[in-house]
Amino acid sequence: MTAELRFIDAIHAGLQASLAADDAVVVIGEDVTYGGPFGATKGLADEFGRHRVRDTPISEATVMGMVTGAALTGLRPVVEVMFVDFITLAMDQLVNHAAKLHFMSGGQLRVPLTVRVQGGVRGRFGAHHSQSLESWFTHTPGLKVVAPAFPGDAKPLLAAAIANDNPVVYLEHRGLYWDKGPLHDDPVDGAVVRRPGTDVTVVSYSKMVHSALAAADRLADSGVEAEVIDLRWLAPLDTATVLESVAKTGRAVVAHEAVARGGLGAELAATIQREVFTELVAPVERVGAAFAPVAAAAALEDAFLPGVDEIERAAGSLMAFGPPPP
Amino acid sequence: MSELDLAGRVELLERMWLIRAFEEKVSELFARGQVVGLIHLGIGSEGSAVGVCSALRSDDYVFGNHRSHAHAIAKGADVDRLMAEIAGKASGYCKGKGGSMHIAAPEVGFVTATGVVGGNVALALGAALTSVTTQDNRVSVAFFGDGAGQSGSLHESLNLAALWKLPVVFVCENNGYAEFSPLSAHTVVERLTDYASVYSIPTVTVDGGDVMEVRRAAVSAVARARAGEGPMFIEVLTHRLRGHYEGDPAAYRELSEREEWTVRDPVARFRAELEGAGVAADTIAATEAAARSRIASAAESAVAAPGPDPEEATTDVYAV
Amino acid sequence: MTPDLPEDQLVDLLRRMLVIRRFEESLIKLAGDFDIGHFHVYIGQESTGVPALAQLQEGDLAFTTHRNHGHLLARGTDPAAMVAEILGKATGTNNGKGGTLHIASPEHGFPTTSAVTGGCTPLATGAAFAFSRRKVDRVSVCLFGDGALEEGSYHESINIAALEALPVIYLCENNSLEALGQKANEYPSSTMAAAPLTDLAASFKVPTITVDGTDTGAVHGAMAEAIDRARSGGGPTFVEALTVRWPGNRPLWPQLATGVTDLTYAWDEGAIPQDHSKWHGAQDGVLRYTRELVTAGLVTTGDVLALDGEVSTQIEDAVQFALDSPYPDPESAFEGVYA
Repeated sequence: MTAELRFIDAIHAGLQASLAADDAVVVIGEDVTYGGPFGATKGLADEFGRHRVRDTPISEATVMGMVTGAALTGLRPVVEVMFVDFITLAMDQLVNHAAKLHFMSGGQLRVPLTVRVQGGVRGRFGAHHSQSLESWFTHTPGLKVVAPAFPGDAKPLLAAAIANDNPVVYLEHRGLYWDKGPLHDDPVDGAVVRRPGTDVTVVSYSKMVHSALAAADRLADSGVEAEVIDLRWLAPLDTATVLESVAKTGRAVVAHEAVARGGLGAELAATIQREVFTELVAPVERVGAAFAPVAAAAALEDAFLPGVDEIERAAGSLMAFGPPPP
Repeated sequence: MSELDLAGRVELLERMWLIRAFEEKVSELFARGQVVGLIHLGIGSEGSAVGVCSALRSDDYVFGNHRSHAHAIAKGADVDRLMAEIAGKASGYCKGKGGSMHIAAPEVGFVTATGVVGGNVALALGAALTSVTTQDNRVSVAFFGDGAGQSGSLHESLNLAALWKLPVVFVCENNGYAEFSPLSAHTVVERLTDYASVYSIPTVTVDGGDVMEVRRAAVSAVARARAGEGPMFIEVLTHRLRGHYEGDPAAYRELSEREEWTVRDPVARFRAELEGAGVAADTIAATEAAARSRIASAAESAVAAPGPDPEEATTDVYAV
Repeated sequence: MTPDLPEDQLVDLLRRMLVIRRFEESLIKLAGDFDIGHFHVYIGQESTGVPALAQLQEGDLAFTTHRNHGHLLARGTDPAAMVAEILGKATGTNNGKGGTLHIASPEHGFPTTSAVTGGCTPLATGAAFAFSRRKVDRVSVCLFGDGALEEGSYHESINIAALEALPVIYLCENNSLEALGQKANEYPSSTMAAAPLTDLAASFKVPTITVDGTDTGAVHGAMAEAIDRARSGGGPTFVEALTVRWPGNRPLWPQLATGVTDLTYAWDEGAIPQDHSKWHGAQDGVLRYTRELVTAGLVTTGDVLALDGEVSTQIEDAVQFALDSPYPDPESAFEGVYA
């Protein structure tokens, strides 16, 4: 354990450690020598040199291809896409090349690439700066996806992403950047139970884990003990931890900030009902954003964004199905 | 490296024959249904592939496009494994997972090819970035067609390569047709080198029918790149002697244009040039015969080889 | 120089510039009290946007970028509805769904604002394609900053516009002159190997014009030529307008670095303070145009101050309207996903 740091500082520390440990690591993106909009890369260019921390033009498509090419030939690039909304411009390279080249080459090629990308709803930024697109990535074979919820996990998960020989999309929720927590370097594999409980399992990741924990506190006040799971890795999914918990509680809520329809929650719900069908006492509930783009107005952004209330309500509705049959 | 003695030039001709024989054999196998998927042949562009790749070291990088059998062979790819790949066999370079459009032969520096027009250019920039970061002095080459000239990613790549002085050589094989349309239907620009000039990238336009002219341009571009002076853009005026893909009747082509280019066939031209320089007709005939025999054997083993185990359809998704 | 226009239109251009200036200044002050998100102001570029866009005709379209307020106001979009949109009110141009980054005002010829760098380039080109195919006498204006030229979509767009001789004007507002530099540990200026930027259009055989963006007359003339070419079937034009980035344009939130604009600086050099004297004296297009009108005897200093008073009141009213407006019904967050 070290001193408490902000989430954004944990990312900075993770980049710093990886740059120091491995000459093959390079940090590339728009304005990264300045530090980017949130300061994740601040000072790294001075510390490691501008040949390893490089600013790019606003050319997402080419930059994603370039880091893929660099990964193919011996570097271990960390590319920053300023907003996940802008990754749409780079999807050809990410999906058609980075994700597939290991497979298409029959295993000859490797793409050890980390794509750091910031997103989520915070700050009334409107529909081009507020999305949660993780299901685009989890739907793509060949990509790995990680979404830390706590500063403590941010650094080891970043180290794991960088050390991985596959393209890993590292999702950062802007709304977590200023959260503080203790840092550690212990390996972070799979999902973790953040709060043990016996009555209902709430599965979540990234910022929504905090809403799940707050909802669990409220549920506890009314005598319902929720078990909260923080997935951390969205691809590959640690279904074992989820299934073990649901087998115990018999009830599951899957919660994410992304649009519910076609989201990762649907995949989890399908897996749960298929694998532990006989243990369930209620249908799997999903909590996610409405099927709409994000509006800028505070009143509309708040209405769009699911949170503690929705999770509490969903868990409560499952409790209404009564106890498991004897 | 720039000057080649007669024996060296005969080796170039051998390599060109190997490509020509390979492509003609693929065409034959395609007609018999013995290769898989969409096939784009490079018959007529042997001068470009061999001219450029003869200027490279074996550890330099080449990134190909959908029409890259020639580039892979020119870079030294094994024709047995290449033919097997196109036939979708387990013994292919990619175990049958890539096929004609996605050849990867990284051990000879042919890193990968892409089925997305213009998709390989940024990848080549990345390899060049690796070279400047690790200072291993390698040069990276991207082969693309005139159709990729109108893709935004090429323009982004030219800007980035110029800004960062990357050791990359852009080789635009301008065969005058983007898929089924003449270049004039895709852009008002006549000389694609103009795209690079605006970023102060040196350019040269060469006749792809003349392998030695292509080679001279490539030698100077590679030397520049290796010396840290940044990218260069070579436009090679070349020709598809076939349609866009095998099975394309190419009805949109003018006959007179085809006749003109048949005369400018790079293999026939170089053969005549070497004869003029005193290489015995027997020697030259032997290069063709050797190439055809080598390819016949490659085709025979590719056709006879077993296909991949169906289980392989879901392996290699992640590197472990 | 002043544009070659009747006197009342010359004064109208000044009025529009003042609307923008006072609007943006008010917004910066408002941002201290309200969470209005990340926003960008047009201060320092009014003398480009106003003469460029005020001459468009009804039905002509313009597609704008994140620094959009000035463009919308130049064509007469209601400042009250714009402040309301920025504050997330139901009376906003987009009923609160867009915010500053996505203001749309189709009735003033602004179908949308794209907040993705270069996002509007294909849209503007597509509108021109529709005009051309429908054979209507309309032009499309694509507004963007120098950074958008780093996006491949620009090159794809202008190639098609040149090929099809589309009625589109690419107006690149290059505000990178004396841009915040890396030395000051601010955002680096654009990362572009081509210079001048007009080469990026000339290589597609598109005619180009470069103007001083603080010279109202020059901008007006350049755009008039470009619009005329587009309307007469001559195809696209690339206009580059050069301005100095206003000192208050900080990376995240703008600050009133040069204070609230004092129009007396236009005719009283002695009043210009030491701080930012270069800005007030030579780089602010609004002060320059005011100076030109006064010097030419087209308006008196009294006229200018009276006009400014009217405009300031209009903006104050706009802000008050927005503050007084209701927030949208939360249910409307889920409406309008499909037509």
